[in-house]
Amino acid sequence: MNYLLRKFGLLLFTLWIAATLNFILPRLVPGDPVGAMMAKYQGQLTPAAADALRVAYGLNDQGSMSHQYFIYLGKLLRGDFGLSISQFPTPVIDVIALAAPWTIGLIGVTTIISFLLGSGLGLYSAWKRGSPLADWMPPVALFLNSMPYFWFALLLLYLFALKSSVFPLSGNLDPFIGEAWTAKWWSSMLRHAALPALTIIVTAAGGWLITMRNNVMGVMGEDYLAFARAKGLSEGRIVNRYVLKNALLPSLTSFGMALGFVVGGSILVETVFSYPGLGFYLYSAVAAVDYPLMQAIFLIIAAAVLIANFIVDMLYAVLDPRVRDGK
Amino acid sequence: MTAIPIARLTPLAWLRAGPLGVIWRSPRATTGAVIILLIAVLALLAPLISSYDPSSGAFTPWIKPGVGHLLGTTALGQDIFTQMLYGARLTLLIGIASGLISTAIGTALGLTAAYYGGRTGEVINTVTNIFLVLPGLPLLIIVSAFLRGGGVWAIILVISLTGWAWGARVLRSQALTLRNRDFIHAAVSTGESPARIIFKEMLPNLAGIIAANFFGTALYAVLSEAALSFIGIGDVSKVTWGTMLYWAQAKNALLQGAWWWVGAPGLGIAVLGMAFAFLNFGVDEISNPRSNHAGKATRVLRRKSVPKVVDAAGLPLMSIQHLDAGYVTPSGPVRAVRDVSLDVAPGEFLGLAGESGCGKSTLAFAATRLLDAPGAVFGGEARLAGQDLLSLTPEELRRTRWKDYSLVFQASMNILNPVIKVREQVYDAMQAHGVHDKTKLEARARELFELVGIRPDYLDAFPHQLSGGMKQRVVIAIALALEPKLVVMDEPTTALDVVVQRQILQEIDQVRRRLGISIIFITHDLSLLVEMSDRIAIMYAGEVVEEAPAQQIYTAPKHPYTQRLMTAFPPLSGARERREGIPGRPPSLAQEIVGCPFYERCAVHLPGTCDVKKPANVEVEPGHRVACFLQSPAVKPAVYQEEHDLASD
Ligand SMILES: Nc1ncnc2c1ncn2[C@@H]1O[C@H](COP(=O)(O)OP(=O)(O)OP(=O)(O)O)[C@@H](O)[C@H]1O
Ligand code: SF4
Ligand SMILES: [Mg+2]
Repeated sequence: MNYLLRKFGLLLFTLWIAATLNFILPRLVPGDPVGAMMAKYQGQLTPAAADALRVAYGLNDQGSMSHQYFIYLGKLLRGDFGLSISQFPTPVIDVIALAAPWTIGLIGVTTIISFLLGSGLGLYSAWKRGSPLADWMPPVALFLNSMPYFWFALLLLYLFALKSSVFPLSGNLDPFIGEAWTAKWWSSMLRHAALPALTIIVTAAGGWLITMRNNVMGVMGEDYLAFARAKGLSEGRIVNRYVLKNALLPSLTSFGMALGFVVGGSILVETVFSYPGLGFYLYSAVAAVDYPLMQAIFLIIAAAVLIANFIVDMLYAVLDPRVRDGK
Repeated sequence: MTAIPIARLTPLAWLRAGPLGVIWRSPRATTGAVIILLIAVLALLAPLISSYDPSSGAFTPWIKPGVGHLLGTTALGQDIFTQMLYGARLTLLIGIASGLISTAIGTALGLTAAYYGGRTGEVINTVTNIFLVLPGLPLLIIVSAFLRGGGVWAIILVISLTGWAWGARVLRSQALTLRNRDFIHAAVSTGESPARIIFKEMLPNLAGIIAANFFGTALYAVLSEAALSFIGIGDVSKVTWGTMLYWAQAKNALLQGAWWWVGAPGLGIAVLGMAFAFLNFGVDEISNPRSNHAGKATRVLRRKSVPKVVDAAGLPLMSIQHLDAGYVTPSGPVRAVRDVSLDVAPGEFLGLAGESGCGKSTLAFAATRLLDAPGAVFGGEARLAGQDLLSLTPEELRRTRWKDYSLVFQASMNILNPVIKVREQVYDAMQAHGVHDKTKLEARARELFELVGIRPDYLDAFPHQLSGGMKQRVVIAIALALEPKLVVMDEPTTALDVVVQRQILQEIDQVRRRLGISIIFITHDLSLLVEMSDRIAIMYAGEVVEEAPAQQIYTAPKHPYTQRLMTAFPPLSGARERREGIPGRPPSLAQEIVGCPFYERCAVHLPGTCDVKKPANVEVEPGHRVACFLQSPAVKPAVYQEEHDLASD
């Protein structure tokens, strides 16, 4: 289990880097963030809020930089991200606790669906190469994958929520929906999630299609595939046991690495649909110059992506005997 | 008749040959390049195309697209078409500049990591992995939020700094394989400076991948700029396609029904992005060639149709007639097998020898219809028990394979599927042909493993747990599993030591005699071949130049090439002395060969005869065929030449 230990080490290390980056950035850039926020709110910042800011940035702390750094790390570990400025005096962590489940639900589920869908189509497109349908897939996929996520979201919004109100314009639930997990709640939730989900699935699946297609074509050039064909194995057997199993491995690696990009793109979709997840709050925080909230959301997203990556690594170890043996 | 596609020089040939050739060789990449050039030209000529100012709001707001305003106007009364033209400038600049910078960073780090390896490589690798997994856009957002008001170059810098990691990773792994190639090792050991090796030797070989990476990061940059502008980070007073979307959203364009304001810049970004993606995809496809066959049987390009089945009675088991095969390459066909006719009797052990590259493997694969694209059969027949393998449908072929004939591939580390157990790979060959009983499968697998000398425990191993020689033995075991009528073995024992090699060959020979299996055996080991074979065929430059019973070809070779070969290996018994090779090199198989292919290297050639006519393959003694004018004056029938004229029409 050497492999997983190493991956876990990298996970912790990367988390630490992200946290440190978060600490350094506001101190590195010209002009101080507190000043910027004061300017933005033009004296409307209550003294209490201004104090909270100074605490957040350690400006009340006359200790050395390293002292501030350790205080910061300590607070992080306790989940103390300070107070949100735009929603003063709500603690940042509460805002996040409210928003995170929606993002994880929306982006988590759609990313997995788009990966499976895209990979399936990619397999088809590579295996059936030469047939018109298979050959039309890559260019279409490249186009879909080159659309800005949020732009496609706007198109869907215009067509299906504004022009015809098949789906709601914004939000995650109808107001006064009552208890969660009831049938009524589910239907409202799904109706609100439909357009954002469709956006993410359509724009992201193209990328997975291209990745899988390349991997399948790589596998098709391998000797073991020629050997499998020479043995007279059936098409289904070759696809399942020889092509898919081998092509999925590099696809998984790409999945892990592209996750950050996909999640980044998806959070903008939330802003278009005013879907109250982390992306939506990140957007509002940027607009409201709410640095504490902004930074905390970055950290949380980074942590989520890193953990997802680690899960992919574990999956990889399950699927690839060579990795299991540490080769 | 044979049909050989001949590549012609097109008027665009000069374009393909240049450094940008990769782009023009892929239709998709060409499309991408044309789109980008078009956008660039429109952007540069903006003042000539439109007389309006992109930011002045001189017109009525919310005009629909029409004659006066091609793409309508904004809420502030700006002409959207003009904005698109001017906006393209910054959008392109950001895409290309960030693409260049991050490709430079990625290339430098990737190459350094690959070249130095060790500590340095490890550190760079870790940093790369960190940047890879950190979510790019959120990072971009917070960095840019702090850099507020930094202008376009701040955006370019931030995008470059977050976008290089993918390139570094791809380059590192490619450069690592390159680093282990002979010519780089040679350069290192002759003491060339690292900079020279990296820039002069490695970089040119990675050009395609670097180019693909550049287009990939340019796409990333264009999308990132759009996203950043959209959320209002960056300078929204400058006109880019991204800031146009920002304003459209800020002024509620969609609520006002002004779909054109959102539609135009977004479509622009998508098309520009697609152009970069096409370039990335196309260049990658060309410089990283992947196999072209789609799990299909060998392409048969012959024109004449032949009867599928003929009466097998009295025929040899395997009968190859006038087989023409080779490879279709961008620079024309390579004819690696040229009009070869060869028979294998039931139970016969036929040896096939000849210099490396003379077409032995191609012959074996083409005749068994296992030649992958770009390989193809151009003409001729290959009959197994009267049935023409070249005209079978895929399903007929599937059922014939392994049951009627099997093939042991030339030594390869990757011959077994790395992710499933050896047991399954032994079983599935039998299962595909109707053996389903578990105990029977198990018993047969054990028996086969005993036969090739591997402990049956290894059935439950994964291929990477086996040594090269063990893998080869597993493959031999699988080849014998269904006791086919014919087994083709292409250098099956190269990874084995001499003792094991003998053992296995003796086992195979016993099985062959017991079951009456025919074997086509390809090897460079002539002494082994003479010892094992009933009959031997010698190939030279795609042709069989001599064919005779093993003893006869050993003691009395008739073709000058065979004579040189037989003296070039040590005698079966007696003192081992150093023999010299044959000076010169065989002719290129990509060209037509007039006359005898051995002419250049033949010490006894007849000028005026051997170099203008082709010797026919003639049976000079019973069972002994040879193609040489010294043995027979017969000229190869002209029909062969005619076929070629036909082919180039
Ligand atoms: N994919 C390909 N594209 C173009 N030419 C090829 C391709 N594969 C092989 N060739 C050419 O075909 C010729 C015959 O190759 P082949 O593999 O049949 O040789 P061989 O006799 O088996 O050699 P060896 O003893 O080294 O295995 C060679 O000259 C080679 O350059
Ligand atoms: S035909 Fe002429 S050139 Fe060819 S092998 Fe015989 S003697 Fe030599
Ligand atoms: Mg060979």
